[in-house]
Amino acid sequence: MHRIFAAIKQTLFPESKSSASPEELRIAFAKRYTHFRSLLTANNNALQAMAELEKVYYSGESYRMAFVRSKISTILINVYKMIRNILAMSDGKYKELEPIFDKISNDISEIVERKRNFQQGPFILELNEVRRKDKDEAGEKMANLGELAALPGIMVPPGFVVTASATRHFLTPDHIAEINRLLQVLDPDNLDDLYSACEKMQNIVMNTPLPPDLEESLHLHVNRLEAGSHPGCKVALRSSAQGEDTAGVSFAGLYSTFLDIDKSMISESYKKVIASKYGPRAIAYRRKRGYRHEDIEMCVGCLLMVDALVSGVVYSRDPEEENSAVMRINATSGIARGVVDGTTVTDLYLVSRTQPFSVVYREMRQGRGTGREHAADTGSLTVKQIQRLAETALQLESHFGQAQDIEWSFDRQGDLYILQSRPIPASRKEPAQNAVEATGPSETAEPPFLTGGICASGGIASGEVFLVDSEEQIQKFPKGGVLVIRHPLPEWAPLLGRAAAVIAENGSEAGHLATVSREFGIPALFSLDGAMKVLVNGQTITINSSARAVYKGRREDLLRLNIVKRDIMAGSPVQRIVTESLQYITPLNLNDPASTHFKSTWCETLHDITRFCHEKSVSEMFNYGKEHHFDKGAAKRLVGDVPLEWWVIDLADGFRPGLDSKDKSVRVEDIVSVPMQAIWHGISAFPWEGPPPISARGFGSIIFQSTMRPDLDPSVASGLTTKNYFLVSQNFCNLSVRLGYHYAMIEAYLSDLLTESYVTFRFKGGAADMRRKAVRARLLADILKRYDFRVELRSDALLARIKKQPVEYLEQRLQILGYLITHARQLDMVMNQPEAVEQYRNKFIQDIDEMLSRKSTLTIEEPSHG
Amino acid sequence: MKDFNVLVVDDEDEFREMTSKILTKRGLHVQSAESGEKALEILQHSRTDVVLLDVKMPGMDGIETLRQIRSIKPLVEVVLLTGHASVESGIEGMKLGAFDYLMKPIETDPLLEKLTEAYEKKRLHQEKIDQALMKKHMSMPV
Repeated sequence: MHRIFAAIKQTLFPESKSSASPEELRIAFAKRYTHFRSLLTANNNALQAMAELEKVYYSGESYRMAFVRSKISTILINVYKMIRNILAMSDGKYKELEPIFDKISNDISEIVERKRNFQQGPFILELNEVRRKDKDEAGEKMANLGELAALPGIMVPPGFVVTASATRHFLTPDHIAEINRLLQVLDPDNLDDLYSACEKMQNIVMNTPLPPDLEESLHLHVNRLEAGSHPGCKVALRSSAQGEDTAGVSFAGLYSTFLDIDKSMISESYKKVIASKYGPRAIAYRRKRGYRHEDIEMCVGCLLMVDALVSGVVYSRDPEEENSAVMRINATSGIARGVVDGTTVTDLYLVSRTQPFSVVYREMRQGRGTGREHAADTGSLTVKQIQRLAETALQLESHFGQAQDIEWSFDRQGDLYILQSRPIPASRKEPAQNAVEATGPSETAEPPFLTGGICASGGIASGEVFLVDSEEQIQKFPKGGVLVIRHPLPEWAPLLGRAAAVIAENGSEAGHLATVSREFGIPALFSLDGAMKVLVNGQTITINSSARAVYKGRREDLLRLNIVKRDIMAGSPVQRIVTESLQYITPLNLNDPASTHFKSTWCETLHDITRFCHEKSVSEMFNYGKEHHFDKGAAKRLVGDVPLEWWVIDLADGFRPGLDSKDKSVRVEDIVSVPMQAIWHGISAFPWEGPPPISARGFGSIIFQSTMRPDLDPSVASGLTTKNYFLVSQNFCNLSVRLGYHYAMIEAYLSDLLTESYVTFRFKGGAADMRRKAVRARLLADILKRYDFRVELRSDALLARIKKQPVEYLEQRLQILGYLITHARQLDMVMNQPEAVEQYRNKFIQDIDEMLSRKSTLTIEEPSHG
Repeated sequence: MKDFNVLVVDDEDEFREMTSKILTKRGLHVQSAESGEKALEILQHSRTDVVLLDVKMPGMDGIETLRQIRSIKPLVEVVLLTGHASVESGIEGMKLGAFDYLMKPIETDPLLEKLTEAYEKKRLHQEKIDQALMKKHMSMPV
């Protein structure tokens, strides 16, 4: 007889080598439970970090290398923790995960930590020897300038370039490490922080003396420049950063240029240009665009000053329109500084791109508002000068194969000097103006309350007005606000990352702030008279800069016309790092736990490893009840008005704190195990109505089985029939139950984290012959499926599972199981009467539905006992 | 809040001072060191329970410091501060037996929670050792 029982017992609860004492069991469980919890926490942290990394990657918004590094570290460390925990839970069963993980983490680390290889070259290159290919040593700007100096008919000021090799000689790895550290701890959204950190970084540069050999070489070349010009000549020191002025990434005006520098100030000014790499604007901009500071090295051009009569900027195509047939010239008397700074009002000429380059439109803004009227047809440029500029612009465009943004000066001799030429970022918008004109704002809608100005960056946006006229207000500028300023100074550039749009009372489309606005894809409306007076802080407006109009309130009809912003990080080094790293992180190859490929050796990514560890950890927990046997000696008996004998073993935190641990009994209300309370609720929801009348055959069968197995006789109080064990912790419950003639096991872990929650139910055996057992198991399976369990049925052995559901939902499932284990035994006697089976099924479902609808009784309270 | 002894190790003065101040305010006994070398020196004659250790420091870096702490004071728990350091150093630290890691910048509550967990682990570990020792002494013939 014992053999049969042993066989059943083996199936449901395969015995480990030896029975453990409750103390040992508790320790073993507590350990596994701790590992399980910690694995699940690590799993969630890893998945969360993966999601965050993917989110920014696909958002088209800007993110920093520090963010990437921190997320990747978080993912790696948490996946490593998962592996450690699964190894501990499974006694090292999945050891091969370790080398797989090591390989993946090495691959990722190589991508993230990849360093550039530098070739050390001369400190100084003559500008007329520099070409495009020298951009790594001369920087983009000077490489371009050297290149175009060699073109026929083009003049650039004489000069030389202090190379990237010189910069590396000046700022040693120690300086760089210190600067890196400051950059890393910097909170980019905290402008206070930004400004103070920048000051520190710039001080490092300014307080470091130039190496004597570099300083000597610098002076030697300046003297040579002077010898070729006139004594006491002045120079311009221009930043020429690597990666600057490449298509789509202008770095416009971020770095300093110093004009009219006396040779005695040359070392100081050189350092200032180098230091400008760490200015707040430059740092904010690089971050926004996905460049790390080590991706860009600063080179410095030293050019003889041009004695400028008139200067300005020419765009070989209108930057706001892809296929524009005109070029745009902004001009001002003297040097070009004010044009690019946005501080000077400039004359605007739209010039045809074809011979004879006639002026199709002009706006003589110089002198506007000063009371000094210009004659309508003069302005700052002569027709000849315009034609000369237009020809040169087309020549440069055709040489570089791209529309160019060119800074120029005519000197007093009438010679044209090119100071800089860079590609115009490709227009990222359909001409929004056309879209607006085509559909037009709905006729009933309110017209704009402010119109005019210069469209510096086309687009439509809405936000709250925020007037800024002092540095202090920079700190308070809200994300998504409309920046309203008097002058579009480059100093406001750090705010553009947070602004929805920019409005300025002055300035033109040629300034740095205009360039940066276009790059960030935010509308900018400049030279809008009276903007600071008319617009009020906090007022919500919608601006359509292309149509040069400002509307009250948020105008969805207009916003709908807008075209999405482009991916600001596109093509940047940081984005490349994320693209490559993600290959090792997020793809999921292990989808189906039932597949033969669901093996540790098939893990190719960190996501695979998390998936694998998670699945295996759950089955290790599932197996807990199966693999562990316990000595029933020290369990506490459940006391109170309870039917049958129930014993409870506390595994971790399943009892109310402060309970006497020596007490041999425990009350239901002293148990704080959420899953056990739910099961108990189901057990006690309806009184057990006792065995139904037995049909003669049914009764005979029971009698027969009882004679075969005395320990199944309900009238004999044996350990098997009367003691039912709960193993509990606050979130965990394993119930082994032998109610009447059947065995059941319920196990549950409930958690607020969906991924770690589960309920399982195993059911087998019971008095009655095989055919009737199978009928009963099938009936239970039917009912369980009805309540969303996933059920596997083999003959009379039933396994039902449900996981990844909210706690409340799982509590209800546990109530259902509690109900079923209590009442299923009534079926034993009637299994050969199909109509009675049907009747019971209906009654069960009805009871369960009624139980579940009694919402309020879910909480821990004295259950009504049956 | 239990009071225990924390050693904050970071070369960055501002962070170290700020963190020490905050933790002291929350009732912990705090010492601080600006380098790995200094930290090891302090550990020799102090009752430090938990070390909060920056991975990236000039001179002896956090990983090397951790290695040495494990050998001279194996019971002391170490919480690493990482994020700026190479992504591999975090893993290396965990492999060397760091209790856990935190990413800079850190907020007070998670920091406090992590330090308390680390201390709890150290306390339990210590308790076990004490009990084992006591058992051993009791069973020794007088």
